[in-house]
Amino acid sequence: MMAHIRPVSAVWVGIICLVFSSRLSTMKAASICPNDQTGCHLLPLANLFDRVIQHSARMHGISDDLHSEFELYFLPSKNQIGRVSRNCHTSTILTPNGKENAQRIAREELAEIILKLLVAWRDPLWHFHQSMSQHDEFTNFSSNKSLEMSDMVHELRKGVLKVVEKMQMLGIISNSVGDTGSPEALLTSDSAEWRFMKDYDLLYCFRRDSNKIQNYLKILKCRIVPKHGC
Amino acid sequence: MNEKISRMHFFFVVKHHRSKDLSRAQISNFPHPHLSLFVFFSVPQPSLCGATMRKAEGGILLRLLLLFMLHATGTSYSPPGKPTLTRCRSPEKETFTCWWEPGSDGGLPTKYALYYRKENSDKVFECPDYRTAGENSCFFNKNDTSVWVNYNITVVATNALGRTFSDPVDIDVVYIVKPNPPENLALTVLWDQTWPYLHVSWESPQKADTRSGWITLIYELRIKLEDEDEWEEHPAGQQKTFNIFSLCSGGKYLVQVRCKPDHGFWSEWSSSQYVKVPEYFNREKSMWVLAVIFSAFALFIITWLIHMNCHNLKQCILPSVPGPKIKGFDEQLLKDGKSMDAFSSLVGANFPPTTTNYEDLLVEYLEVFVPEERELMLEETKELHNDSLKFENSTSDCDSGRGSCDSHTLLIDKSEEEKGQQPDQQSSEIKMDGKGQDEEDKYLTCSPENVDSHQLSSEKVKTWPSSFSPLPEYSPIPLQQPNSHETSKQPCLSDSLFAAGPLPSHFPHLGHNTKDEIGSSYWQFGISNKQLHLLHQQMEAHQQLQAHKNASVSNIGHLQLPSVRFTEYVEVQRVSDQNMVILHPVPSHPETSYPDWHQTEEYSKVKCVDNDNGLLLLQREGVEEGMDMCSYEELPESDPSKTTNTTFTSPCSQPAPSVQDERVVGGYVETSVFTLPTY
Repeated sequence: MMAHIRPVSAVWVGIICLVFSSRLSTMKAASICPNDQTGCHLLPLANLFDRVIQHSARMHGISDDLHSEFELYFLPSKNQIGRVSRNCHTSTILTPNGKENAQRIAREELAEIILKLLVAWRDPLWHFHQSMSQHDEFTNFSSNKSLEMSDMVHELRKGVLKVVEKMQMLGIISNSVGDTGSPEALLTSDSAEWRFMKDYDLLYCFRRDSNKIQNYLKILKCRIVPKHGC
Repeated sequence: MNEKISRMHFFFVVKHHRSKDLSRAQISNFPHPHLSLFVFFSVPQPSLCGATMRKAEGGILLRLLLLFMLHATGTSYSPPGKPTLTRCRSPEKETFTCWWEPGSDGGLPTKYALYYRKENSDKVFECPDYRTAGENSCFFNKNDTSVWVNYNITVVATNALGRTFSDPVDIDVVYIVKPNPPENLALTVLWDQTWPYLHVSWESPQKADTRSGWITLIYELRIKLEDEDEWEEHPAGQQKTFNIFSLCSGGKYLVQVRCKPDHGFWSEWSSSQYVKVPEYFNREKSMWVLAVIFSAFALFIITWLIHMNCHNLKQCILPSVPGPKIKGFDEQLLKDGKSMDAFSSLVGANFPPTTTNYEDLLVEYLEVFVPEERELMLEETKELHNDSLKFENSTSDCDSGRGSCDSHTLLIDKSEEEKGQQPDQQSSEIKMDGKGQDEEDKYLTCSPENVDSHQLSSEKVKTWPSSFSPLPEYSPIPLQQPNSHETSKQPCLSDSLFAAGPLPSHFPHLGHNTKDEIGSSYWQFGISNKQLHLLHQQMEAHQQLQAHKNASVSNIGHLQLPSVRFTEYVEVQRVSDQNMVILHPVPSHPETSYPDWHQTEEYSKVKCVDNDNGLLLLQREGVEEGMDMCSYEELPESDPSKTTNTTFTSPCSQPAPSVQDERVVGGYVETSVFTLPTY
């Protein structure tokens, strides 16, 4: 009986595979290019956008958690003077502060801003994580989160670059968006500033900036591929 | 200054048009006139620049008049209480509104102002719109709203007597978004084959711009029957439709929906929408009902069956434990207290032996005088027809103080005392008269070996326990006659005492079967597959008999038995089924010094036990002294070639160790209790 089972099972597996592959192929044909032919090629881009947006949402969530945790430990002083003087090191980057502004600026510029932000936060977050891990009063939970945050900035930047590449390939945006030009300039100008920021302020600033990034990405997506989930 | 104050007292007409706030202010009494003056002067003037001295004077006069009025009316007034900013909300992340709660107004008309300051800027702005959002609110329109910018907002309450600042509040528009509830909630009952389900759909609030991706909303709906109190909530993610199944037939449902941005507050629940589910046949429910009924019915039937067959089941599941049953034993008698009567039925024909014919139980002894014989063989002649004797099976160890062995030792001691004679131990003419039952498959034969040749005396009686035949007046070393139904054990005699006693005198004592069987003595011994067991005499009576007969043995001792050197051989007559070798003694020597010595015990020494449980018989050459005949090892070894025709052809794997004294004694079968070779 055992002798019969193996070839029979192999046959069944083969049949099942054939069925599934056929189904997949039909599904593929159906899903990638539905009736809309013009938007057919944009599906992968939309998927890329979704992926990147998910990523940025997660990053923002982590920064939010860390910020609230910091608020528990270090209640910011009620000193109004101190609060006013808080200055994020990314304030030099001009970002649209309203919906109209965000919709008005060019896609390339928006993409550029996103990348600038991501680059600007790479080093500060890394140093933040270092300082966090050295302090004993922080829990492991916080330490892991800070590391995760630092990694995510890297990953997100890579993802956004990919999206930009894809867009440039599709001819949606021009090739003016680069990743090597501005970051170095940014770094040299801001290198000193963020070092003087306190941890709490740094977290506050990053929480906001991650929200900006997420929002800008959504806007960008709905401007470029509006039919896919906007 | 004092002069002016004193002059003010006389003015009753108060007229001022400069400060609006005082027009509605309420004046409260101050206990101290100087304090009141101080308050008056602390009221800020909107502008002092360019005021003429006259105007200033007028203002002061006015205030003093007011103070006078306050004193006159008698009410209490105070600066306004501290207002508090309750909340700031943005419905679409493009505008926002702040509401505050006024504190006590201090009895005077109080005015509230909201001031704000943007992040990293010291410029203070006042609220642009106090009206749009209603009372005590401030509305920031699109132009004034900057997202991702920190607003520092303060509310100031001002009245005639003072102003009070509220606590400042920092807000970022992104985190205060509370959208409007979703709109256009629509309910539809659709059918999935025979099942109805509810299809709910809605739209995002109008103001929230989800299309451009500026806001991302997630939705949640809740549903309940009209009569119920508990809502059933369903999160719906970002989709704008939802399906609800498992509806009550004919029920009326209420549905509400709300939404929330990624980081913000839940909106209010939308207004309820009603829907009525049409009547339908709930197949699933009816199926369950049927299943329950059926199972209940089946359970009922099973219970009834069990009840009907209660008794039988009890027998089956819990069989009665068999009580101890003894044949012929009447429990009732025991209960009644008549123990003797109860036990009387147990008394069999032969138990307990009513007739103490111990002589019947004894193994007959044959005293043989065998000069230079180191052992005497005694042949038992009589069968024991004691059926009721039970013999305990034991394993190979025959040194464990068994009765037979003990009796044997007794015999040995006796024989040592009476070393009178020189028994010829070499003659192993003892004819073994053993008659075994055919059915008996296991019985032991103990090979008696006399340790001391000098011990041979007439008194020495060796019992040759080939069968249990009681020899009267003989040392009651019981030899077991193999019975039909039992596995017997042969008593194991470590030392054999052969008493070359007056055989003639014994012969008459030999049992009824003795003379008949002298001529033909058969030696039957069987070798079980297992170890040969030692017969353990359990009968106390036997021991008694032994003791009794020991004495008789001693009497025998005076008999002189010439040493007889016999070389008798045992011929294997046949091998029975139960691995019994039936030997036939072959009379080789015609001489019979003792005509009465019929009972020549012929025996062949077992050389060894081969693997197939065969006995290799040898001629007995000598007997070791003090040999424990219970142990097989001490059998003397002899040349196999001398073995008689009784020799088994089966090869021996474990030959017996050689004996010091090797004399050709003659062929004899030493039935010894030998274990399976363990050496």
